[in-house]
Amino acid sequence: MRMASVRLPRLPAIPRRAAAAALLAAAAGIVALMGAGYALGQLALVATFAIAGLGVVLIVGQAGQITLGQGALLALGAYTEGLLARHGLPPPVSLPAAVAVAAGGGWLASLPARRLGGLYFAMSTLAFALIVEELLARAAWLTGGAAGLTVPTLALGPVAAGGAPAEAAVSVAALALAWAACRRWVDSRLGRAWHAIRADEGAAAASGIDCARAKAAAFAIGGGLSGLAGALYAHWIGFVSPEQFGLMLSFELLVLAFIGGARHLAGALWGALIIVAIPQLIALLRDLLPSHLAATAGLELLLFGAVLVAVVLWRPQGIAGR
Amino acid sequence: MLTLLQVLTSGIAIGCVYGLVALSFVLIYKATATVSFMQGELLMLGAFAVLALNAGAGVPIWLAVPLGLAAMTALGAGLERTVLRRALGQPHLTAVLLTFGVGLVLRGAVTAVPAASHSVHRLDLPFGDAPLAIGSLALAPAHLAAIAATVAVAILLALFFRHTRLGLALRACAEDPRAAALMGVPVAAMHTLAWALGAGLAAFAGLLLAPLAFVHLNMGLIALKAFPAAVLGGMTSLPGALAAGVFLGVAEALAGLVLPEGAKDMVPYVLLMAALLLFPGGFGAAFARWRG
Repeated sequence: MRMASVRLPRLPAIPRRAAAAALLAAAAGIVALMGAGYALGQLALVATFAIAGLGVVLIVGQAGQITLGQGALLALGAYTEGLLARHGLPPPVSLPAAVAVAAGGGWLASLPARRLGGLYFAMSTLAFALIVEELLARAAWLTGGAAGLTVPTLALGPVAAGGAPAEAAVSVAALALAWAACRRWVDSRLGRAWHAIRADEGAAAASGIDCARAKAAAFAIGGGLSGLAGALYAHWIGFVSPEQFGLMLSFELLVLAFIGGARHLAGALWGALIIVAIPQLIALLRDLLPSHLAATAGLELLLFGAVLVAVVLWRPQGIAGR
Repeated sequence: MLTLLQVLTSGIAIGCVYGLVALSFVLIYKATATVSFMQGELLMLGAFAVLALNAGAGVPIWLAVPLGLAAMTALGAGLERTVLRRALGQPHLTAVLLTFGVGLVLRGAVTAVPAASHSVHRLDLPFGDAPLAIGSLALAPAHLAAIAATVAVAILLALFFRHTRLGLALRACAEDPRAAALMGVPVAAMHTLAWALGAGLAAFAGLLLAPLAFVHLNMGLIALKAFPAAVLGGMTSLPGALAAGVFLGVAEALAGLVLPEGAKDMVPYVLLMAALLLFPGGFGAAFARWRG
């Protein structure tokens, strides 16, 4: 029963070449205006968000499920990495551990709903995320509680990834690896199972696909990617606390996948770009407003909400959808 | 024994708030198949609307409450007409993001009012704060008022859904919108009605919460507990949602007595996950199956 009251004009799809050219121009502009260090720092952030975004794209876009708890899985990765690095374990040990813990978390979060699917995944992942957030704040003897935890620089023996260029290089390399892995998964038997489930779960089950297992795999892999992103993020920021990984981050990741277009892996990259850019654009917009308006508390919240509503109204299926 | 009774009363009272928010969520979900992530913001806004009318504009409380609730109901209907109906028939993700975005806008708008964001407020009951003493048992009037008001709302809703044409039409629309449309039910109008009722109920829950806690920007976070209540109630049952809300309030209060500090806040979410694993149809369905 769809009865649209106001029809907004559908904008034509942006040609790929024009988008790439605009992107290059914007990148050159940022480097020229803000300096290369700033641009590389932002690149590290975008690549890290894109890794987490790939996880959401697999769950939301490929398998057609919904997750509201990715923020907590980033937290699991970030805290595991932070704690292990503080105890002097090298990244070849701590990074796989962070990925494994977050993948386990993703599996556990999806477990109660895996035979119910749909909205129930939203409920169980949300509940899992709220439990994790509370545990991180309460287990002060391990996590430092609400005060948080400082994380040392990412270092392997004498080689340390301090400073924006090294951080950007590590993030982009990790993103490339994650991207290649996702490419393989999407083209594999498992990826085809996800597509079948997204299209019609009943038909998929009738064709002999173990739906519960394929969905659990999507959540575990998505969790592992979030864990990797969380571990890198902990090093780049140098500090982790429970409120960094709250419900807002989970929703930001969902928005990322939605805006970028969850059907394609590239959506994670576009979405990450936009999600990192939005706060800065809002800050720019704030400078343009008259001073008595710009000083208003809650303006960021209001504008972010308005952008989200506008995007959803403009393209209910996502920017790059169909 | 006395402590237990007092803890139980406060648990039931806060459970009534959970239950009412869960009820508003399930009502919207059933009637329009839209998942609303803004019930907490509507709750917060409702409490602030009445506060602004009462403390700000000097309207007496007996008039401010119906005026505030009417305004919130109108807001729910208006949002449905302009924005929310575009999420109809789309995947759940669309509705989740759309309602979350509208919630952020509402929250940002309230934050922009300096009087609202700089301090916490109290909305006092018209009949004072003196505890009601029954023997040596002292009960807070705010708790009793919340319980009584919830019972009244439940009865009114039951009468509305059972005995009015409008209630029947809304139920038909929730059951099968296509068949309802063929029977002459104006389905689009029913969606507007569902959102109006949902916004009004959430605002009412905010009014009940106001004397129990303070009126502040983050009071809407309590609506997160409505999701466990909705799931425990079976996702599509209005009485189930209300009962599960009360159950969660009591379970939380008892957990506060026996479990270590902080565990109380996790109880509803642990119960949600356990319930999905063990009784995926909600407690009502599990009970019906057990009886045979």
